[in-house]
Amino acid sequence: MAYSALNTKKIIDVVKYRWLWLAISFIFLMPGLIAMIWSMKVYPTHTPLLVGIDFTGGTIIQYAVNKDISTPEIGKIRMDLSDNDIENPVIQILKPNNTEDNTDIKNIISIKTKFSANGQNETIDKVTSVISADYPDSQLVQVNSVGPVLGKQLFVNSLIAISLALLAIVIYLTLRFHFEFAVVACLALFHDVLFVVGVFSILGLVFGVTIDSLFITAILTVLGYSVNNTIVVFDRVRENLKFYSKKATYGEIVNASVNQTLARSINTSLTTLLTLGALYFFGGVTTKDFVLVMILGVIIGTYSSIFFANALIVMWHNAKEAEKEKQAK
Amino acid sequence: MKNKIIMFWAIVILTIISIVIIKVKPIPLGLDLVGGSRIVLEAQTTDTISKITQDMMDGLKSALENRVNAMGVSETMVQQMGEKRLLIEIPNISDPKLAREFLGETAELEFKKPILDDNSNVIGWEASGLSGEDLNKASVGTDNAGRWLIALEFNGKGAHKFAKLTREFKGYPIAIYFNGESISEPNVQEEINGGHAQITGNFTHDEAKKIVDLLNAGALPIPAEIIEENTVGPTLGADSLHKSKFAGLIGIAAVMIFMLIWYRVPGFIANIALIIYSLIVFAIFKIIPVTLTLAGIAGFILSIGMAVDANILIFERTKEELKSGRTLFTAINSGFDRAFTSIFDSNMSTVIICLILYFLGSNIVKGFALTLMIGVLVSMFSAITVTKNLMHLMFGTGQLKYPALFGLKESDINEAYNAAETQRENAKFGLLD
Repeated sequence: MAYSALNTKKIIDVVKYRWLWLAISFIFLMPGLIAMIWSMKVYPTHTPLLVGIDFTGGTIIQYAVNKDISTPEIGKIRMDLSDNDIENPVIQILKPNNTEDNTDIKNIISIKTKFSANGQNETIDKVTSVISADYPDSQLVQVNSVGPVLGKQLFVNSLIAISLALLAIVIYLTLRFHFEFAVVACLALFHDVLFVVGVFSILGLVFGVTIDSLFITAILTVLGYSVNNTIVVFDRVRENLKFYSKKATYGEIVNASVNQTLARSINTSLTTLLTLGALYFFGGVTTKDFVLVMILGVIIGTYSSIFFANALIVMWHNAKEAEKEKQAK
Repeated sequence: MKNKIIMFWAIVILTIISIVIIKVKPIPLGLDLVGGSRIVLEAQTTDTISKITQDMMDGLKSALENRVNAMGVSETMVQQMGEKRLLIEIPNISDPKLAREFLGETAELEFKKPILDDNSNVIGWEASGLSGEDLNKASVGTDNAGRWLIALEFNGKGAHKFAKLTREFKGYPIAIYFNGESISEPNVQEEINGGHAQITGNFTHDEAKKIVDLLNAGALPIPAEIIEENTVGPTLGADSLHKSKFAGLIGIAAVMIFMLIWYRVPGFIANIALIIYSLIVFAIFKIIPVTLTLAGIAGFILSIGMAVDANILIFERTKEELKSGRTLFTAINSGFDRAFTSIFDSNMSTVIICLILYFLGSNIVKGFALTLMIGVLVSMFSAITVTKNLMHLMFGTGQLKYPALFGLKESDINEAYNAAETQRENAKFGLLD
């Protein structure tokens, strides 16, 4: 028998089990969606995520401490700060990755309070005196403050950036592929972003993880990465359609394309996860959340480019065919 | 074949140039890696200033530049952002309050004359018309007892005003206000001509120096408020840099080992291409120059993932072509050829996103977008041109004798490949048999 690209080993059947794949996506997305709706109800900002000072305005002051900090100690810091007129301090302990040399910072106490344009130095002085009373070896390592007006602007700009990116990708894919592919690729992107945002919404509710402008960057990168994956599979579908559209059904072609690109999809995700994993476990504390977004994005992006997008494209095509037949009758 | 050898040497020369550039030029590091302050000031309208003009912004900018320079640290930057904002970057300062003190304060020096009641008692102070604007320069000095003082030198008009003031209030105190606070209230012993004055308060050297620096730098022409500040201490900066480097190296090493195990000889070639890729990217960073920040490093590490992706696409495709029984030369060529559209389309979509981020994003985001974009564009060259060239030079045009070199089994290779198609492809790639 002559070699045909269509009789590759079939490891995954995206067409036959398409409802299963969509159901799995649904299960992935549901908890995050619930968390987002819940967040919008309970947060004073009415946002689906716990937003950090980049978007609300505020001041974060961080100290490096060379010993471990227990929960009662955090309570004491909070009390001391309140006694010193620091309004609603939010205290978090960040744990940097420790490498072998002991010059490294063991813990970072991060204190969030409101933004004050003029009394900033006074605030820093007060907080520093409280912290250094409890931890004499503490060291002020970072101050980050954003005014409320600027925060709102950043937030709006970020939303504009994400919308524009989505629009640009739809246009590009419509030009290079087909409108159907563009829409499905965008749905897959939306799927991926929704998943990552959902996870961070849950993290916000459970651990008080806030999002900053770096989070938006990470989401946009996930967009780029996920569209990468989807394009590679669709590119193969496009190619196979050109050669085999008369010999095989649409579903068969999509299935073959997915399986032909499977090794690539998995290997690429693996290598990216290797670099991201290194950054997460050995990198600086500042980029940890950023890397976590990327890791989640790569995993869900791989899933959606193999299962979700292709199940959808086949279903869309079948629906269109059924419509045509109806009209023919 | 001749073209391929020329190309090979071109790649070698490019790599050497990149190494030389990397050795010669230091890479500028962002504030989050070296420590320092990054401050955004916004000019404020007041009762008297209802609209902020570009002239005012220029004045504000040069006044702030003077102040920042007075702090005595190198490589500071003052840059206008939008209509009424200034971005100021001061590297290598450890105390976040210092920058705030230097930038936030208005540096208003005012001489006030006493308001006297009928019995010549001082009951208050009022403006005398003599202010910091009448100064020529200020300097720090000591008096006979070794106490720190501030020596003032007035300009012509100021000297005249000062003489008049001291003549009028001989025997009475006058007050010197700095930023709305009285710093000294000396008694006038005699009329002072010549335009020199001294302020003796209970200054420490640092206090005196700060006031002198602010006075010399000049008052801000319009009030400005700090709306964003980010100060990173040098310890945290060094820690981040150290860890990112370490993580980056581990990440790259892990990827290389993976490529070697999975793709064998092509994997080895991809690793060489990856090294060349890293060298070229860093050389470009230095030429532009790109200031390397944490987000920038993240962008670079991500672009490594994407550069490898291109090679994975190509090798998987080449393997497929080999399995279908094509000769080595055509399999390599069509592997590259057919993977190209995927690589192109996926990279272009990343570039589009990077462009949007670059033009709309905040500063952190810009750094990330730029490094990722450079990375993706360079990877189109390294993962395609460099790898293809090395593959051809290494494998030549014969049959694949040892499938294990590609991580394939003998049984994987399909013998009966359509002969006509092979011939057509050989012709297409310029190989006639």
